[in-house]
Formats: sequence, C-alpha cells, structure tokens
Amino acid sequence: MVGIKKSFPGVKALKGVSFEAYPGESLALIGANGAGKSTLMNILGGVVLADEGVVNLDGHATPIHSPADAARRGIAFVHQELALMPTLSILDNMLIAAFPSRNGLIDYRQGEALCREALARLGYDFNLHTQVRDLSPGDQQIIEIARTLLGKSRIVIFDEPTSSLTSRERERLFEIIRYMKSQGTTIIYITHLLDEIFTVCERAVILRNGEKVAQSLVRDLTRDEVVEKMIGSQEVVSYFQHHVRERGPLLLTVENLQREGYLDRINFSVHRGEVVGLWGLLGSGRTELFRALMGLDQITGGRILIDTGRGPHPVKPRSRKNPMGLITEDRRTDGLLLPMSIRHNLSLANLRSFISRLWPFIARGREEAAARDYVRKLNIKSTSIEQRVATLSGGNQQKVVVGRWLQTSPLLFLMDEPTRGLDVEAKAELHSLISELADSGAAVMFVSSDLDEIMSLSDRFLVMVRGRLVRELPRDSTKHELLATASGISSTGGVSEP
Amino acid sequence: MSAKQRFRPGAFFLSYGFLMAIVVMIAVFSLYSPNFFSLKNGLFILHAAAPSMILATGVALVLMTGKIDISIGSTAYLSAAIGVVLMMRLHVNPGLAMLIVLPIGAVLGAINGFVVVILRVNPLIATLGSYFTFRGLALQISNSMTISIPAQLGNLGSLRIGPIFVDILFAGIVLAIYQVIHTRTIFGRHVMAVGNGAEVAQKVGIPVDRVSFLTFTLAGFMASIGGVLTMFQVSSLSPTLGQGYEFTAIALLVIGGVSLFGGEGTILPGILLGALALTIIQSGLNFIGASVFVYPLVRGGIIFIAMYADSLKTMSKRHVKVLAEQ
Repeated sequence: MVGIKKSFPGVKALKGVSFEAYPGESLALIGANGAGKSTLMNILGGVVLADEGVVNLDGHATPIHSPADAARRGIAFVHQELALMPTLSILDNMLIAAFPSRNGLIDYRQGEALCREALARLGYDFNLHTQVRDLSPGDQQIIEIARTLLGKSRIVIFDEPTSSLTSRERERLFEIIRYMKSQGTTIIYITHLLDEIFTVCERAVILRNGEKVAQSLVRDLTRDEVVEKMIGSQEVVSYFQHHVRERGPLLLTVENLQREGYLDRINFSVHRGEVVGLWGLLGSGRTELFRALMGLDQITGGRILIDTGRGPHPVKPRSRKNPMGLITEDRRTDGLLLPMSIRHNLSLANLRSFISRLWPFIARGREEAAARDYVRKLNIKSTSIEQRVATLSGGNQQKVVVGRWLQTSPLLFLMDEPTRGLDVEAKAELHSLISELADSGAAVMFVSSDLDEIMSLSDRFLVMVRGRLVRELPRDSTKHELLATASGISSTGGVSEP
Repeated sequence: MSAKQRFRPGAFFLSYGFLMAIVVMIAVFSLYSPNFFSLKNGLFILHAAAPSMILATGVALVLMTGKIDISIGSTAYLSAAIGVVLMMRLHVNPGLAMLIVLPIGAVLGAINGFVVVILRVNPLIATLGSYFTFRGLALQISNSMTISIPAQLGNLGSLRIGPIFVDILFAGIVLAIYQVIHTRTIFGRHVMAVGNGAEVAQKVGIPVDRVSFLTFTLAGFMASIGGVLTMFQVSSLSPTLGQGYEFTAIALLVIGGVSLFGGEGTILPGILLGALALTIIQSGLNFIGASVFVYPLVRGGIIFIAMYADSLKTMSKRHVKVLAEQ
C-alpha cells in the first residue's frame, strides 16, 4: 500500500501511509487507539475507500472498491466483531458468500466436502449442521477463519482477534496463524497487546496519529521501544489545570466482582471528592465494569458496597441507580429524548418533585425555573429552554445529561468516554465540570481512550487488561507506564523507565 | 472439539410444543364429537386451509428476512377483482384473465418492495399503506359489489381428483416448491442470512436489497394465487375477500415457528403445522357446537402464546449474539 490518505469529517485519519507485506510472513500493525490501524485495513478490505494512494498486489496497482472486490483478489478480513449469522448452520455460514451450485440448486455435497477439508486443515471436525449460535466465541472465530481458507485467500487480516478468546483458544489461534504462514499466506495482525506481537509476528509497522513512525523486524525491537514509538515524545497536552483536592471519606468498595467471561475478580474502592481514571485498551472490560456497577448486567459473584453516610452496605442493582449516575458517549442510550425540549429532558427523571399530592399535574412554573437554573449553572448554550435537544451540539447535549443526573444528586458519577465526538471547547467545559463535581464532594470514575485527557484529569488510575484490574497507578505516572501496563506487559519487571 | 449440544427441555418444548398441542386438540375434539376424526373431515380442513397456506408461504420469506407484509389480503382482493373485471366487463377469456392476474400480484408485491427497499420506508408502515390503497382500488373497480363468477370457474374450487380436492394438491405443490427454494437455493439461504442482520449480511457480500425486494414480489405473487383460489371456492368476488388473511397468515407462520425477528423458521413442516393448528381449532369448535364468537377468542389466545414463545426463543438467541460480539 502506497501513500494512503483518508480523512473523516474533522479528522485526518491517515496522512499518507505506505508499507509492504510479503507472502508467508506475519506483519504486526501496531498503534494506540485512533492511530489509524483499522482505517488502513478497512481500505485494504474494501470496507472504506481511500482518498488518495494505491494498493499494489504482486506489483500491479489494484483498485479495491468493495468487500466483494477484496474477496475476489484474495484478501480476507477476520473482523473483531465476527461476521457470522447465528441461526444458520456452520455449513451455511462458511459457504454463504460463494455457494457451489448445480442446476440452480446448492450443491451441498460438494459444499460439505469443501468445508470439511478447510476445517480439517485447521485441525477441526465440527458437526457442520450445528447452528453457529450454539458455539463458543472461540469456535465461532474458527468458523470465520476457516471461511477465509475456502476462498483461497492470499492475505488475511486479523483485527484484534484475541479479544474474546480464552488463553487456550488464543494458543490455538497462534497455531493456526503459523500454519497459514507456512502455506504462504500473508498475515496482517492488528493488536494492542504487545506480547502477542512477539509471539506470532516477524515484522511490525507502528502507526501514530495516522502516520507510520517505524517499521522493523520484531526481533530487533524491544517492548520499551515499541511503547515509546506508539506514544511518541510529545508532552501531555494540558487543556486543563489539575488541582489537588482533599480526598474525602470512603464511598464505594468493590469486592471480587465477577461476571462470567467479562470481569474477573475486580477489587477497588473510590473515595468522595476524587476523580479516578479507568484506563485500558478497547475490549479490556472498562464499559463492562461500569455496566456491572450500575446493575445493567447481572454479575456472577462479588459484592458492591456503598457508604451513603451510614457505613458501607451492599446495594441491590435496582437501588444502585440512586447514588450513581452513568454518562456514556452515546447520548441516546443515556435516555436523552432528542425530539423533546431541554426543559422536558431536564425534568424527566425528577418529575415527582414538580407535582403535589393533591394536584397531580406538573407545576410548569417550577419546572421552568429548575430548567433555567441548570441551563445557567452548566452553561448550556441554547436559544431557550424550549429548544429541541436534537438541535443542540454534542457538548451541550452531554451537559443536559449531566444536568438530569445532578437533580437526583448522585454521589458517584460513572462516565464512559464522555467527551468522544466533542470539540475542543466542549471538552474543556466538560473537564472543568468533572472537576467541579469532585470539588463538591462527589466521586467521578471515568473512562477515556484519550491518554492525554485521562492523564490531565485523574487523581489516580486503575488499569484494566482482559477483564482484570491489574494495577493502580498514582497521578504522577508517565504515559509510558500507563500504556505499557495496559498492553499487558508484566506490571513490575518488564518495564524500565525510558 | 465439536459443539456442545445439550438437551434443553425448554428449547425442546419451544420447538415441538405446537405439534404436541395439535395432537391434544385432535384428541379432545374427537372425544366430544366422534365424527371429527375422519378422513372426510380431515380433507375438508385441508381444503379450507389451502388459500391461507399459500398466502402464508409467500409472506414466510418476508418474515424470515426480519420484515413484514400486512398487505397480502388486499393484494389478494385487488388481483382477484382485476381478474373479474377483465372477465365480466371486458369479456376477456376467463382462462386468460386468470393468467393475467398472477403477474399483477407480483407487480403489487414489487411496489411494496420498492417502497421498503428503495424508499426505505418501515415495512409495517409501507404495507399498511398498501393494505388500504389496494383494497380501496379494488372496491373502486368492483363498485363494492359481490360479483358471481362463471360456473365453470366456480366449479374449479370444489374440483376433486378421487376424494382429494385439487386445491389441496395445489397447495401441496406450492409448499414443496418453496421448501426447495428455501433449503436448496442460494436465494433461500440469503433470505435467512439477511434475517440474521442486514449489516453482517452486507459485510459478507450478500445483495441485501435485491433479496428483500424479491421476497416482497414473491409475497404479492402468492397472494394473487391465494385470492383467485378463494374466489373459486366461494364462486364469487365479495368485497370482504381476503380481509384478515394477512393476520391469519402471520399467525399461522408464528405458530409454525417462523420468527418475526427474522432468520428463523421452516416452510415444511412449519407452515403445514401452523395451518393445521388454526383450522383444526376452527373446525373443532364448529363440531362441538361452540358459539361462533368463541373462535376469535381462542385464536387470539393461541396467537398470543405463539408470539410469547417466539419472544422467548429470541431472547436466548440474543444472549448468544451479545457474547459473539465481544
């Protein structure tokens, strides 16, 4: 691929990236969140089109316009989110893009032979008529990989293939990749997890902010070098002045929290008046932890204790919504009713306080006063409190969500990527809002994929890897430490200070 | 390492519950009325069920892609009305008129397909629109009158070969053809794939829009066959022809195990079982002399149970889906 450029509205995702890959090798594509790895591979896989640049196959410029186009040229994509149809059989799932047919009917005899052979090459013998939904995630991935063997693919792209696998399944996948390499297939392996690169890849291309910053043989690299190149040497961009706060009394204690397949023995505590940054790579279980805390997913073990002033006591999922408020990047799932006005949205969770026992109609005057109060307090930029929320900017919508929660005065705010998609100014406002919440005695736990953001806001960090909380880091930790810990490099011995 | 397939009593009951229910119903009705369990009555039940089975077969593929078509009753009426007008007013040869009717059904279905696939209107709303417009058009051209059809056509409706009604054979052939389309053709597999999620299907390279469009067209085509068949059975075109067929068809499919969420269900034995269940109840209630007003109540209850079973099945499916996405 030569000189690939791609812009999305507001972002230059790729600024002219070139690299090459050879038959029978496994090339690692490394970079932090948002470095452009997935965009680059989506261009190769025909999922998105490049603005500029060419793809050369065997030295010839080859335009790729669609996934079908890519498939025809022998490029297969094993997506992080598997492209499988759960109610169909293994057989149908493998053949779906190219059924062998005879006289207009599907030739299942030939199809079965093809699938059986492809699975056998990977060392599997499934009952081909099993529905895919009855398979484990690991086995489902095997089906998707086996599908690439049917198409005689020459290039197979793996996008974060191990994020849903157990460690045994991961070993099995590495075996398969080695086998595919021995057959002359080119593997392009996207991952955040550095230990995997050293296990299965020969060469690595490192991206940062849409540019290639390094390309070399894996055996010539050390883990420290990789981390350094991923983050670069630039300073933390401080959009926000952090100040030290008095740490308040204990608020939340989580003991051995467990959810089968997602969260593994999580222990931590949060105090009033502190901002805790929850850091981890995509798929490390950050969002799942928040959902478990809010009682949105059922947990399979452990306890959640909250101290509302009468000593720590376990809380039931249903009553947990009271002292906690969840704010996510997807404002629609936070219950923002886009076609309705700011006033309606602000009062929705708190309508009871605007009626009296004898008069069951909403007191319009008081509702309006409260809405105006919050619009002013949070600096929500709008023409009036009757403006439809859909017409507000993302940042102002986010503030309406915060305003809604503020009325129920939660003690703990959980924020999952609260600033994603917001512009710089809106981000800054939300940052000071987070800080003010902590000043007023509430606790804030927040997740961000933006390392600079999380570093400038947090009082301390909790780092998650593969559903486990592996380490707590103090505020003065370096970027390098955060990234290395999250990439699964052993937390004590493996990392030395640059 | 092969997949674990545990026996789950819940899943077993969800899959075979209605088969068991049909057996129980036959037993109960036979106890109350000795004549119920006879070949003659059985054939009459199938005779009565033939048109709705054909309509249901057509709309089955639409449901399997996760969409819905509630206009098929009106499509049946409009195409039958056009046939009658051609024959009675324009004096077209009856055989030719009936042949013209069938492609008209396909065109009406294609209009639904166009509105849903190209104009991106929600299928329920789109076909609710054609539910009214098609029926309105038909009432217009038939002057809302009951029109008797020529005797030689009316006789076709009760034509038998030996003891078996011809329309039973016809419905059987239609079911068999659809069974092959559904299980053995690429189109059939693509229908199921789209029903599993249009986005994934697109990623895999399936022509999602073309597949959906075709299912609507076929549903219209089958609706016109069902409409003509009904007209033959009652020897006339009445303004209520096809009324409620869409809901009978959908109820029948859901009872037969076709999921409204898409991606699930069979032509055989699903549709046959669903049709039998509904008509056996109707006929059985008749036999034991129940009030005619009981039937809608019982049918409503059965539809509710079938929908609930569908939702239960889908809940377990969703669970696996979430796991797969992680």
